[in-house]
Amino acid sequence: MIATWVGGLLRWRTGRLAACVIGVALAVALAASLGSFLTASKSTMTERATRSVAVDWQVQVQPGADPGAVLALVRTTAGVRGALPVTFARSTGFRATVGGSTQSTGAGVVLGLPDGYQATFPGAIRPLTGAGSGVLIAQQTAANLHVAPGDEVTLALPGALPAPVRVAGVVDLPQADSLFQQVGAPKQAQPSAPPDNVVLLPAALFDTLTAPTRATDPAAVTTQIHVARNAHLPADPASAFTAVVGAAHNLEARTSGGAVVGDNLGAALDGARSDALYAQVLFLFLGLPGAILAALLTASVAGAGADRRRREQALLRTRGLRARQVVALAGAEAAVVGVAGGLLGLGVAALVGQLAFGQASFGAGVGSATTWSLVAFGGGLLIAGSAVLVPALRDLRTATVAQAGRAASSAHAPWWSRIGLDFILLAISLLVFRASGANRYSLVLAPEGVAAISVSYWALLGPVLLWLGGALLLQRLAVLFLGHGRAVLTRLVRPLAGNLASTASATMARRRRPLARSMVLLALAVSFAASTSTFNATYRQQAEVDARLTNGADVTVTQPPGARAGPDAGRALTTAGVRRVEPLQHRFAYVGSDLQDLYGVRPATIGAATSLQDAYFSGGSSKALMATLASRPDSLLVSNETVQDFRLNLGDTVNLRLRDERTRDLRTVPFHYAGIVKEFPTAPKDSFFVANADYITKVTGSDAVGAFLIDTGGTRQHAVADELRRRLGTTATVTDLTQTRSAVGSSLTSVDLAGLTRIELGFALALAAGSAGIVLALGLAERRRTFAITLVLGGTARQVRGLVLGEAAVVTLGGLAGGAALGWALSEMLVKVLTGVFDPPPAGLAVPWAYLAATTLTAVAAITAAAINGARHAHRPPIEELRDG
Amino acid sequence: MSSTCDVLVDCRDAARTFGRGANAVVAVHGSSCRVRAGKRISIIGPSGSGKSTLLHLMAGLERPTTGTVTWPAGEGDDADPTPRIGVVFQGPSLIPALDVGENTGLPLVLAGLPEEVARGRALAALELLGIADLAARLPEELSGGQSQRIAVARVLAQRPRLVLADEPTGQLDRATGGQVIDVLLAAAAEIGAALVVTTHDPTVARRLDTRWRMHDGRLEMEA
Ligand SMILES: Nc1ncnc2c1ncn2[C@@H]1O[C@H](COP(=O)(O)OP(=O)(O)OP(=O)(O)O)[C@@H](O)[C@H]1O
Ligand SMILES: [Mg+2]
Repeated sequence: MIATWVGGLLRWRTGRLAACVIGVALAVALAASLGSFLTASKSTMTERATRSVAVDWQVQVQPGADPGAVLALVRTTAGVRGALPVTFARSTGFRATVGGSTQSTGAGVVLGLPDGYQATFPGAIRPLTGAGSGVLIAQQTAANLHVAPGDEVTLALPGALPAPVRVAGVVDLPQADSLFQQVGAPKQAQPSAPPDNVVLLPAALFDTLTAPTRATDPAAVTTQIHVARNAHLPADPASAFTAVVGAAHNLEARTSGGAVVGDNLGAALDGARSDALYAQVLFLFLGLPGAILAALLTASVAGAGADRRRREQALLRTRGLRARQVVALAGAEAAVVGVAGGLLGLGVAALVGQLAFGQASFGAGVGSATTWSLVAFGGGLLIAGSAVLVPALRDLRTATVAQAGRAASSAHAPWWSRIGLDFILLAISLLVFRASGANRYSLVLAPEGVAAISVSYWALLGPVLLWLGGALLLQRLAVLFLGHGRAVLTRLVRPLAGNLASTASATMARRRRPLARSMVLLALAVSFAASTSTFNATYRQQAEVDARLTNGADVTVTQPPGARAGPDAGRALTTAGVRRVEPLQHRFAYVGSDLQDLYGVRPATIGAATSLQDAYFSGGSSKALMATLASRPDSLLVSNETVQDFRLNLGDTVNLRLRDERTRDLRTVPFHYAGIVKEFPTAPKDSFFVANADYITKVTGSDAVGAFLIDTGGTRQHAVADELRRRLGTTATVTDLTQTRSAVGSSLTSVDLAGLTRIELGFALALAAGSAGIVLALGLAERRRTFAITLVLGGTARQVRGLVLGEAAVVTLGGLAGGAALGWALSEMLVKVLTGVFDPPPAGLAVPWAYLAATTLTAVAAITAAAINGARHAHRPPIEELRDG
Repeated sequence: MSSTCDVLVDCRDAARTFGRGANAVVAVHGSSCRVRAGKRISIIGPSGSGKSTLLHLMAGLERPTTGTVTWPAGEGDDADPTPRIGVVFQGPSLIPALDVGENTGLPLVLAGLPEEVARGRALAALELLGIADLAARLPEELSGGQSQRIAVARVLAQRPRLVLADEPTGQLDRATGGQVIDVLLAAAAEIGAALVVTTHDPTVARRLDTRWRMHDGRLEMEA
């Protein structure tokens, strides 16, 4: 019997069944795609975090312990690829005499590196100029001492005679923060910045030079075992973190107090796991509404056939079928929809993965891809069950045919409308949003001293409730308008429905609830597309801003330390595709005993070559502050910390000590505090100054430029950079935005969001088209009778088409308007709530107009197609339609 | 014999077959008949004998497979564009989303009459049938007999020259059915229209002047 029933359904209810299957398939495909994508992203994050760390562990040998024994123990530890001892000694200062003038520095650090250190830890030391081995000096130290490879530097070590060494190379220590960390000390006790003065010595030379120091104070020389690991790590950053931290603790325990592990790898994974949680939140935010929408779509499709089904069901009951059998039949229908939709959805997901990532599994492991597929499939069954089976079960209670006929229309407002649920939800949403705003939108919580981190899912409640409340409010407004705005409605449809306009508006007024539901569904789809695409566009904009901030401009030419190129050297950088070359001075300046970077800008032109967002500054917009720098050349922008440290008030004099190129000595120069700068192109994340380049040139007697910022108009960065690299050779470093974009940022920004965007936007488009088209098409199917009656009473096909198009126009207008409003509100809230994923936080939303226009057009096209198709159906001999009664 | 202008509908060997080949069902075999102005005709026949199909042929809602159906008196003209034929259908035929008044006036609006005119004529028709109090109701709020009366009112509002009623009493008890027939006769008299009523109930058939019989798709006329 079930087979006959299902066969009948397939034959006579093909359209409805297919629509349900498509709805389920959309939800399943979306969940499977996003799930696989999420897993794949997470393992990328783990990989990136692992790769970003130069030295996995710095095992600090404790005073009194034998470094040899610790080294031996570390080397026998599972998962250790290489372990080398590094020795540290404090120096009271370095001195150098170059070209007759002597420079000296404050306290510094001297390191002893064994042979093969750079081979084992490739990312730890970056050679800038000169040799890559022998005595190496850190870039800033070289700048302070004015030394270059070949010059001599004298090291002052406690208890030893001043030791002259010859510099073989200048290097950068990209991971100085972790290299010079206080191993085992809590975060607050860590040094705020790595030492300014660092000299790296070959281990043998270090031992010779520090022998007297060691003799007087054995504790003055410390040893760390640097460890490179190759243990296999779980793909998920959180599990990888647990594994690494566990291994580190295990090692510490085995040394029985002889060593403490500085776990750089663990720290990196710690960051990655909160990024992974953010990714998960993003997945929820951007994916779940889509899946819910697809489920709603399925439910409406199923609901559109509810009258008919109720009649059939009641008829079956009167023919003596028992309730259990009726349920079995409905169950069979749900199973067909669920299984077919699920399989189709998985197929679509695999196809999407193939298209977007070249891999059906989105790059996720087989295991996790299978898991996600199963989860998504289960979800599809659930949707099918609740859309098809549940209503059937509910209807079993209204057992008689007569009742079934009546159940369809209920005149009074639904319960949610009577209790004002929409307003309640919106109010709660606003409250939650306020509360999370007070919490500075911290979504991912990593409480101090607790190993586990968590997501504050409360904050998600804001947008979710906004979405739901907004949808209900829209339904309320649409019902109100359709019910009471008949005069307006009539005028609205007059161009399409002609003299049937008031008949059309009367029909719409009576059918206001299902029509409003269609509008809301369309609005939800449009708002989903709008908020998702706006979020993605804003995210991309900020990633671009971040990359620009780090790189400085589209292409940046950085001069080596000590170079004397003036602004005129910029002329040599003009090549095809270059719009503008902007010189940026880079010096160092002491404020008190604190050494900070100092950037000299040309305030009138800097804004044209790179983006200076208002968010980079406080105390004025970027324009206003640049104007101040121009009108008062001794103005100085300083970091927030400096303002705090020195208790500065606007207009206060700040005395900086700058190197005067004429006397080659530090000289005190007065500046005036004019505003706060938080970020600046090419500047480090910590404290720095920004001042007027002309003023700096005047007071230091040098117009040397640190970097040239090159504007290529946002395109051809790669080609321009290549050309400049070819031209400049090793005399300067050329970097471009595209390369920076892939190198910087948190692991979250580095996730292939472009792929995610493509998936999301594709689905959003499909949902918008689907909800617009399917709902109206089904609505029309239910109204074929009405059209048939209209035709047999003498109506023309044109009149029927007018009725259909009038209704379609109203649904479209309402849906698009509601969708735009809801989408805008959601975007604003989403971007605020997800502030944490943006770096830097956006000044405003980036609206992808082209995509939104495409979505609107697609929706309109789908509706028009559905409407015209509906009207075409009316051409079937209407008298037959009437006979079906 | 009166002139051909008197003939409202003229069927000549009109036949209607549904389906093709083995599935073909001949609903109406070649039948010839004429309906003249002012006549009161009943067509009686068992279920499935082709009564509805013949009526639809007469109304021009269905085309004959062979033979011809013509309307010598002509269609509606510019002075009164409403169709000259009104049909009361066998099944429910009211638009669920329109109230009784709107339903009754709908054919007039479709024919292009101004809305107020349509409304006025609809109310007048309802008044005539004594059901003006139902004007604001929705079809779902009506009983079967009431619905059928509204369908009659809708035809009345059209002021056709020929009223075709397809089993107007089929779903009703005898007393209510009788009232509907009264209403139909009164309405036809009011507008001076010819009336054709199909039925399988001999008591209904007896209320009309002329009786035709339908059997297995064949039309037989009584003397
Ligand atoms: N659209 C159609 N397609 C196929 N067969 C049809 C169609 N319409 C009518 N028939 C068939 O034509 C025959 C005559 O049908 P019709 O509806 O004219 O009979 P009827 O005399 O009006 O019956 P009833 O008294 O039950 O209303 C029946 O056998 C019916 O099955
Ligand atoms: Mg019939």
